[in-house]
Amino acid sequence: MEPIGIFILAMLCQVYSCAANVSDSVERMQYASVAGDEYLQEEKLETNLDDKVYFDFDKSTLDAEDKNLLEQYLPEIKKAKIVRLEGHCDERGTREYNLALGERRALEVRDFLVVKGVSGKKIRVVSFGEEKPLKNASNEKAWAENRRVEISLY
Amino acid sequence: MIRFFTLLFFLVSNSIFTILEIEILKGSDNLSKVAFVPFGAEEGFEEDYGEQISRYVEKNMLLFGEFENLDKSEMLSYPSSENDFFYRDWKVLGVDYSVIGKVNSVNALGNLNISYFLFNINRRIKILEGEIIGNEDNIEDISKIISNRIYEQITGLRGIFDTKLAYVVNSDADTYQMCISDIDGKNEQILFTSKAPIMSPDWSPDRKKIAYVSFENGLAEIFIQDLQSGKRDSIQALGMTNSAPVWSPDGKSLALVVSFSGNPDIFLYSINSKRLIRLTNHYGIDTEPSWSPDSKKIIFTSDRSGSPQLYEINTKSKRKKRLTRDGNYNARGRYFPDGKSIFFVHGNDGNFQIATKKLSSRYIETLTSTSLDESPTISPNGNIIIYATKDGSNGYLGGITLDGKSRFSLPVKNGSVREPAWSPLLN
Repeated sequence: MEPIGIFILAMLCQVYSCAANVSDSVERMQYASVAGDEYLQEEKLETNLDDKVYFDFDKSTLDAEDKNLLEQYLPEIKKAKIVRLEGHCDERGTREYNLALGERRALEVRDFLVVKGVSGKKIRVVSFGEEKPLKNASNEKAWAENRRVEISLY
Repeated sequence: MIRFFTLLFFLVSNSIFTILEIEILKGSDNLSKVAFVPFGAEEGFEEDYGEQISRYVEKNMLLFGEFENLDKSEMLSYPSSENDFFYRDWKVLGVDYSVIGKVNSVNALGNLNISYFLFNINRRIKILEGEIIGNEDNIEDISKIISNRIYEQITGLRGIFDTKLAYVVNSDADTYQMCISDIDGKNEQILFTSKAPIMSPDWSPDRKKIAYVSFENGLAEIFIQDLQSGKRDSIQALGMTNSAPVWSPDGKSLALVVSFSGNPDIFLYSINSKRLIRLTNHYGIDTEPSWSPDSKKIIFTSDRSGSPQLYEINTKSKRKKRLTRDGNYNARGRYFPDGKSIFFVHGNDGNFQIATKKLSSRYIETLTSTSLDESPTISPNGNIIIYATKDGSNGYLGGITLDGKSRFSLPVKNGSVREPAWSPLLN
């Protein structure tokens, strides 16, 4: 068994010992097992498409341009075994709120893909809030680049 | 192939370099002037403990820029006992308070007996007299106790010189460290080092544990770390992500955020039973909980109105009340120790600054003037706020006394420092 499997088993034992909803623990298990690159067993697929969608400040809505981009991406997304969506924010505002906002952004992309026929089961969502900026600078350009959802296919 | 994050874990009593050092930026012109007279000592000591103690006391008292001192070279006399003390020597120099003291050896074990006095020069009275016995190895701790008592006598506020600060250091892109140090930056300990982000440290009320968020397993998870043993435990409160833990005043539970299926809400988590109790249930973002000092209410951020605003919820009745209306960004609220006011991050015109508001009034008062201010934490005596801010790409900590007497900064020597969390007092 892979080390991560043992880790999850240990976690599940803990989980069953407390008042827990089994479906929640399963959700968490799936989530934990594939949330980070390090936990994906599949090879990352190379694509020629831009793999990021961008957002306005404190917003998680997709505009027409974003949807267009995702549409172009759809055939490849549908072919992938796992779609990993990683939500990010710029540095402005508070860290914990941004963690939630990053999750919102990734879920917005997930919902759009599901509506377009991508199986929700193969989509993994994670947020890093403002903790992992692409550009470590404090200006409009850097902020715009940092407010993103990164799409990785496996 | 599965790769694990390399998790280095060590507790050290002294790191190689001290990260934080307070630099006073602006003091008021109207500070009380205190004379710290070098303490006397009985003959026969190998080291001059008297001078060491008075120097530490002076350094503590000046730490946050709340007082002005009198240079030793200007002093007209160096009294070490009440009998040698003359008010006129200090009145003529414009001194408001004088601290004197003396170190006597007390027994064959080499313990020190330190007596100290504080005089109010304007009122011409002795306002404090104390005696403390301690070991020569604990000179700094003894000095902190003396400093606390002097500070309390002059200001009427609890002394905070034996408190600590927790903070996150991001020394390079892939190194995150959970650190604590004494409030003066000394005795830094690295509690945990990770290649993945660390967030949201919070002290247990007994100061024995710290709760924080770590991404070491690829997603936001809450850990509780015991400071004595260094042992870390994930609390595994379920949901997709767990974040923003804060200890209840009795230390028995955490308020935290659990996101089930991507909808973050506020929950109470009992540390013993591991039971979760839901506090909020809204499709908007609910996060950043914090307890009122009387444990009856929890303040939190919600975007249920369309922008992040502060609300409070009664933990028993679950009745909610909106606390902020001005501006389109009011987040991460905390109560003052008296429970009557709150402080938070206020977004205004693209600037994010630390602000306060009385619960009884609508008016928001902005305290800081930089533009990327966040994560404010308050001293347990309610007089000083330390917060995180940025200069270029480097994060550093700023501080301000709420009486407006002082502003200071705590620059980091390497990388960025952020998310300060002030420890409670030791009771």
